[in-house]
Amino acid sequence: MKTASGTNRVRLNWSFLSPLLLPFLALVTALLVGALVIWVTSGNLLTVFDAYVGLVRGALFKERGLSESFIAAVPYVFLSLAVAVGFKAGLFNIGVEGQFYIGAISAVWMGQLLPGLPAIIHLPLTLLAGAAGGAVWAAIPGYLKARTGAHEVITTIMLNYVSFRFTELMVSGPLKDPVSTAVQTAPVAHAAEVWLFYDIPARLQDPLNALAVALCAAFIGFVVARALRRRRERKARNAPMVLTVGRANTRRAPTVFGRHSSLSAALITGILTFIFLPLLTRLWWPFTDRYDRLHIGVLFAVAAAIGVWWLLWKTTIGFELRTVGANANAARYAGMNITRNIVLAMAISGGLAGIAGTIEVLGVSICRCLPLFFSSGYGFDSIAISLLANNNPFGILGVSFLFGAMRNGADLMELSSGVSKYIISLIQALILLFVSAPPIIRWLFRIRSERKLIDVSVTGGWGGKA
Amino acid sequence: MSQSASTAATTRLSSVRQLKGRWWVTALFSLFLAVAAWMLLNLIIGGQCQGECVVGTLAQTLRVATPIAFAAFCGVLCERSGVVDIGIEGKMLMAAMVAYAVNLFAFQALKGSMGEQAAGDLSRWLAVILGALSAVILAALHAVVSIEFKTNQIITGTVVNILALGLTGFLYRQFLAENLPAGPGTFPIFNVPVLSQIPVIGPIFFQQKPLTYMMLISALLIHYVLFYTPWGLRTRAVGEHPRAADTLGIGVYRIRYVNVLAGGLIAGLAGVWFTIEGVDVFNPMMTNGLGFIGLAAMIFGKWNPFGALIGALIFGLGTSVTSTVSIFRPDIPSQIPQMLPYLLTIIVLTGVVGRAVPPAADGEPYVK
Amino acid sequence: MELALQAKGITKRFPGVLANDHVNFGLVQGEIHALLGENGAGKSTLMNILYGLYQPDEGQIFVDGVELQFASPHDAIKHGIGMVHQHFMLVPPLTVTENIILGQESTSINGRPASQLSILQRRKAAQRIRDLSHQYKLDVDPEAYVRDLPVGAQQRVEIVKALYRSADLLILDEPTAVLTPQEADDLFIIMRGLAKQGKSIVFITHKLREVFAVADTISVMRAGKMVGTVSPAEATSESLAALMVGREVILQVDKTAAHPGQPILTVTSLHVRDDRQHMAVNDVSFDVRSGEILGIAGVQGNGQSELTEALTGLRHVHSGKVAILDTDTTHVMPREIIEVGVAHIPEDRQKHGLVLSFPVRDNLALCTYYRSPFAQGIEVKYPVLERNAEELINTFDIRTPSAETPVGSLSGGNQQKVIVARELTRAVKLVIANQPTRGLDVGSIEFIHKRIVQARERGAAVLLISAELDEIMSLSDRIAVMYKGSILDIVDARTATREQLGLLMAGVKAQK
Repeated sequence: MKTASGTNRVRLNWSFLSPLLLPFLALVTALLVGALVIWVTSGNLLTVFDAYVGLVRGALFKERGLSESFIAAVPYVFLSLAVAVGFKAGLFNIGVEGQFYIGAISAVWMGQLLPGLPAIIHLPLTLLAGAAGGAVWAAIPGYLKARTGAHEVITTIMLNYVSFRFTELMVSGPLKDPVSTAVQTAPVAHAAEVWLFYDIPARLQDPLNALAVALCAAFIGFVVARALRRRRERKARNAPMVLTVGRANTRRAPTVFGRHSSLSAALITGILTFIFLPLLTRLWWPFTDRYDRLHIGVLFAVAAAIGVWWLLWKTTIGFELRTVGANANAARYAGMNITRNIVLAMAISGGLAGIAGTIEVLGVSICRCLPLFFSSGYGFDSIAISLLANNNPFGILGVSFLFGAMRNGADLMELSSGVSKYIISLIQALILLFVSAPPIIRWLFRIRSERKLIDVSVTGGWGGKA
Repeated sequence: MSQSASTAATTRLSSVRQLKGRWWVTALFSLFLAVAAWMLLNLIIGGQCQGECVVGTLAQTLRVATPIAFAAFCGVLCERSGVVDIGIEGKMLMAAMVAYAVNLFAFQALKGSMGEQAAGDLSRWLAVILGALSAVILAALHAVVSIEFKTNQIITGTVVNILALGLTGFLYRQFLAENLPAGPGTFPIFNVPVLSQIPVIGPIFFQQKPLTYMMLISALLIHYVLFYTPWGLRTRAVGEHPRAADTLGIGVYRIRYVNVLAGGLIAGLAGVWFTIEGVDVFNPMMTNGLGFIGLAAMIFGKWNPFGALIGALIFGLGTSVTSTVSIFRPDIPSQIPQMLPYLLTIIVLTGVVGRAVPPAADGEPYVK
Repeated sequence: MELALQAKGITKRFPGVLANDHVNFGLVQGEIHALLGENGAGKSTLMNILYGLYQPDEGQIFVDGVELQFASPHDAIKHGIGMVHQHFMLVPPLTVTENIILGQESTSINGRPASQLSILQRRKAAQRIRDLSHQYKLDVDPEAYVRDLPVGAQQRVEIVKALYRSADLLILDEPTAVLTPQEADDLFIIMRGLAKQGKSIVFITHKLREVFAVADTISVMRAGKMVGTVSPAEATSESLAALMVGREVILQVDKTAAHPGQPILTVTSLHVRDDRQHMAVNDVSFDVRSGEILGIAGVQGNGQSELTEALTGLRHVHSGKVAILDTDTTHVMPREIIEVGVAHIPEDRQKHGLVLSFPVRDNLALCTYYRSPFAQGIEVKYPVLERNAEELINTFDIRTPSAETPVGSLSGGNQQKVIVARELTRAVKLVIANQPTRGLDVGSIEFIHKRIVQARERGAAVLLISAELDEIMSLSDRIAVMYKGSILDIVDARTATREQLGLLMAGVKAQK
């Protein structure tokens, strides 16, 4: 770059933070540009201050502000994970918004289909329905891409519009609540709802619900125990050769026992949870505010991030998806089925987006139903989140909270400064711009570029087959 | 094939080659499609649309095809030079809002000093120019980032879309949502002297608003530039094989910049159409995916301006026919016809109606 | 003597590479000057600098004694320099005329250059092209579409393109790489003719034979430096080879006599279409036995790529049969072919053979990641991958900082070693190697040749496809020659001569 040449000024050594540096600077720059826009449009520098203070207060410090920020972050997590899975497989799924809607409508349908089912069955079933809806919806452009080369960016965005109309059609037609005067679907069954934290002690009184929680706990116990065992094994293996050879037998013994140890850890965790958690929550529970809408979707989101990370970086499925994304020719050469992987990646992506829609309906929507005007607007933001987090699932958790907090704080900001809350969309769009074009930030902050290999190659052209 | 089509104008000597897969095949196909759509329409509404209703539907076809065609032309210019532009939608939205605001506020400022009639005319043209220029600014962003910084053009285009969405959303809510003064409204219909009096043809082609005429003229203009001038030859070479062009001393970046900016101008006209020619309101959802439909029209038209125009007309026909249907059959839920253009776009992209090869270097940043 | 072109002290650095290190070069008017060197010696960089595509970091360029600076090819063209690139710089969907006039379209009007939006004068240009092709005996049809022309004709278009710009000085970058020996001879005749009419020619090559056939002067480059300029009269093949490589070159590969066993690969009247639906492989039949190397010679683009792709399941077989041992692999997925025991060293290592952004570790398991011991169920066992990688890095001497390094940051030779390590350490019955040493330095070439011979000695059948006749002749036990999708003949490598193969490559089949 021309600008850097010749100047001999002292440079800070940023290298130890380099993976975080660009996203951070992108964020700061976007906020600065946002401040500039507010200043220019309001003609008052103080408004900038008012606005940003209002934003932070609204996001974190107002009553239930933190809870609401978490609630807003949940769909972001799922949708950004959806975008990230697509990116890793070389697909740019900008139709997550549509898949979100289809997931929501599928979930509403399933949520009111079988009244009387216990939550242990109905809630997973409803989540599954939402995921399936989104997955099928996203698999269509995936299949078209793999088979005909129709570029997913256009097909998914076209399907967005179709899904909006389709949802409208369903809500005002076949699924319309005959009782309500508003145009909305009937509410889902109580058993299909995503639990509020406030509700948990009450929910756990039902032994079946307690069983469901115990099963989850047992699973977590199993995973943790196994991870610990693996770590031990690896340490043992890395120990000097002589040692291992001499004590080969004694070393293998705990490994065999170890398999049982993770199972028993699971069993113990499960039983303990089943017996004691309902009692404990009755005795003491931190979520006592009955207007606090924080729901267990937050936990689902964390689980989803871990799941996606495991899938992408620890399994053969992920290995294939990432290979297809990085170099489809090499993937084919290595014997991978491109069509299957593209469809699979889109389906996983759409499934995650569908779950986001499902949780919004089952846990956040006030009527626990799908109203006609079910505004979301999460779709495009999640592209920004995914790029800002560099498609890293754990990064996505953090950035999603940030975006959720901004979205949540925007109301108070508008109230206290008179700046339209849509400035947030602008700031988020700017973040996306700066993240997607690092040279801008590098140029602004005079950072030398490092040589970087392109990790994912989203098809640039139309990928047309003659 | 696009190649043989692209060299349409090369020379009359190799005419045998040109006959294969030429524009008139597309034209015949379109005609067939139009007739089919027509029969379907009459089937649905029981033959109630005759005479004036027919002419009205066709005139409306051309009208609603205008922004789609502009968008497609933008795509043609950019992609012929090897830059994929998925951000047309965003540029349109931006131009629509800027034009709307300019029209409104310029009218307020001018109305005192000149007559209401003159102020209206002036502010509308001012709106057209400034609206288109605002799209050029976004195009410049796209150009710099994707040509200079060599980012993935699909992502950059999406960024342009999201940025436009954020910017217009904010500005609209901050300034344009309420307490608006009365504006001068949209362009009046301009009847072309003499020609507009021809029966059937006149009302369809020559009783339109200015941007529609501009759209038809730009189709001719772009065709001329692309296939008959040195600039067009260079553009096509850069889109197919930029390194070859570079070795001949052609500035690849310069060609791409100019084409992307010119494309931005044209996308701006597409956006201006919404608020200065279509309806006298602005809302942040109003482009409704038409930019993407324009891209589908471009692909349908095999990256040729006339082909793209035909593609746009097919989409226009779909829209105007469905709106005619909804007049006669209010019992059909409006959402179903509203889905059709999007589904049609997907079908076009899958190449069911003949797939063409895009310019070879389309979407690939050129690294010297 | 007046130098038509002189370069003094040219230095050019790329990130991590010193491509040209104070290079001096002089070209006498009317001579054919061969520039000889290995791949990566810096020949193309030097020529790209002389043509204005790159700007030198240091050094001066003189044309006819005047110092000039070329900011772009435009400047070079203006001073009468023309270049024919190794990969043709032609736009396939445009006509010959359009390709030739590109960038020089407008005849000036009253001395001022015409606007770029004025109308193209195709007919006038076509006439000038006809005149030029007549004058220099370069047969081109101005109305033809470039994509329909054979390579030889495309090369003539490239030369006319330079002459159209009144070039007095032509740079030909590896012009014979895509030609048969006979076509190359035709090119040499054209070059002689051009030189006789006063044009100066720089002829880049790494083939010693060609240098002696046509050059008036020979300059040799090695590792970015100019290491010598000699006349062909005073040079020998050995002395030039030593200059090129910097040490004595073993031109022969050590190998024992073949002991062919049972046929491993049997191909029966195979037909395969290319991307444009032309029949690229036309009724091909052959077999490869265990313990032998079958070389497929032929000029690039005669169906070798399609043949390889069809054999490895990457391309649909139109008709015919492919069998590996007793398994019919005609219409099966690539994975099944890999499972049968086929190793494939692909033609384009970066496009097909490697995932550049992935670590060396993952690339070394690209074909086996899903089965034991690398995976258990759907879980990949990365520690196992790691140990596997460390082992292969050692045995194959892959120069990489670690197993975690992205393979894209390795040098070409080491990238190819990663592929060879991955493919040849599996239990394979058949090795398909397509251009296994293209673009590599001599050291890597020797290493890979040794490994291929080793595979043969372990009893694998080897199918070697290469456009380098020398490689085919030194490695193969039998040689098949492909021409326009067909195998013209299969000959015994011990008795085959260069002339015989050259004729076959040109499509001339000797009467038996």
